[in-house]
Amino acid sequence: MIPKHLFSTRIISKDFIEQIFSLASKIESNPDQFADKCKGKILGTLFFEPSTRTRLSFESAMLRLGGQILGFTSAKVSSAVKGESISDTIRMINLYSDIAVIRHYIEGVGEIAKNFASIPVISGGTGSQEHPTQALLDLYSIKKEFKEIDNLSIGVMGDLLYGRTIPSLLFALAKYENIDLHLIAPPALRLRKNVALRLKENGFKYNIEENLKDIISDLDVLYMTRIQKERFPDPVDYERLKGVYQISTEDIKNVKDRFIILHPLPRVDEIDYSIDKTKHSRYFEQALNGVWVRMALILIYLGID
Amino acid sequence: MSENSEKLIVTKIEDGTVIDRIPPGKALKILEILGIDSNYPYTVALAMRVASKKMKLKDVVKIRGKALTPQDTQKLSFIAPTATVNIIVDYKVQEKQNLKVPNHVEDFVDCVNPNCVSNAHEPIVSSFDVVSKDPLILRCVYCDRLLEQKYLNRKL
Ligand SMILES: [Zn+2]
Repeated sequence: MIPKHLFSTRIISKDFIEQIFSLASKIESNPDQFADKCKGKILGTLFFEPSTRTRLSFESAMLRLGGQILGFTSAKVSSAVKGESISDTIRMINLYSDIAVIRHYIEGVGEIAKNFASIPVISGGTGSQEHPTQALLDLYSIKKEFKEIDNLSIGVMGDLLYGRTIPSLLFALAKYENIDLHLIAPPALRLRKNVALRLKENGFKYNIEENLKDIISDLDVLYMTRIQKERFPDPVDYERLKGVYQISTEDIKNVKDRFIILHPLPRVDEIDYSIDKTKHSRYFEQALNGVWVRMALILIYLGID
Repeated sequence: MSENSEKLIVTKIEDGTVIDRIPPGKALKILEILGIDSNYPYTVALAMRVASKKMKLKDVVKIRGKALTPQDTQKLSFIAPTATVNIIVDYKVQEKQNLKVPNHVEDFVDCVNPNCVSNAHEPIVSSFDVVSKDPLILRCVYCDRLLEQKYLNRKL
């Protein structure tokens, strides 16, 4: 079953995820074949919050499909500053485009789309709630590397509390078999209770770690997110902790041969530049994968073969 | 104390609502959520920590001239799930309701999350699933955040 809008990886099936990946893979191997698929179609882009990567990736995806883009890139230039509600903005884009992507700092926007949009609406990041397309491209990157996602040992490190990609990534991973998951974060930035509860309801088990050193040699994938200084009530805590959640070539001496590092980007200083050149870095390829995955999503949601 | 002594403390009312078997100490809170304060024009009787066969100690509230709305009953079920509501007409119990904590509530309390769309100016009402009844935990349908007992005690 494909939900009408895509705001969460929690409510989509593994079959749907695999359908997206299989189409993304076809597109990746022969993008020219898809160059005119969305001719005459318009992607509405409602970015109430600044975004570079996600917005460019969606726009690139639509342009590569031969479609067009209509929208705004910051609430400052939209009527949101004049006090227009999200529901009215969604009603409006509904008239002018065939599919839309929305990023908002307000959480729960997906329910508004359910009530007020007849065109498919996809989340481009919703507060700290979810970022489903990022999680899909993350998983696609893992699948490309290992062929299967089942049975992998995966570490997720950084800000698990506010990072919006984290719930989406974990909800998606929870659909796979025998994932050995390690969550590495300072106590103040561990999973939100509601996310932990959802995982518990799904019977998805994981280990909570404070130190990457203890487990890095067991991992196939290390997924890193940035820890932002402003998330800490006490800046002293930040200074004390940030080193623990940074990695350099020193830290990856004893990793598995096939070990890879992913990061949704932008990074601050949690991954040392020296890692970029090693065979373990995949974060730049990961960003490109986003375009294939979003092209696949646009096609599926527009019902184009 | 016996059941008898309760009758001495709390007078019968002609018409209105009797809320019985309230967990001991919760009666004042219940008057508060029902909006009963010092300006209420009719008889209000309140007994705290009286003996009860079923629950050792209980509170009882009798409010003349008050009929509970479904929303009142819902709030009551969260604060005093053991309570029974008796509708009194002409000194007699006309109807006896046992409270039941619902599985879903709407337009009942504000979401704990300031960034939740249900707290923004949108044409929707707050909406929660009850994920646990004891302790009481609600989950926002919009932002998925949990409203825990501590927050609810403050808000209800
Ligand atoms: Zn909420």
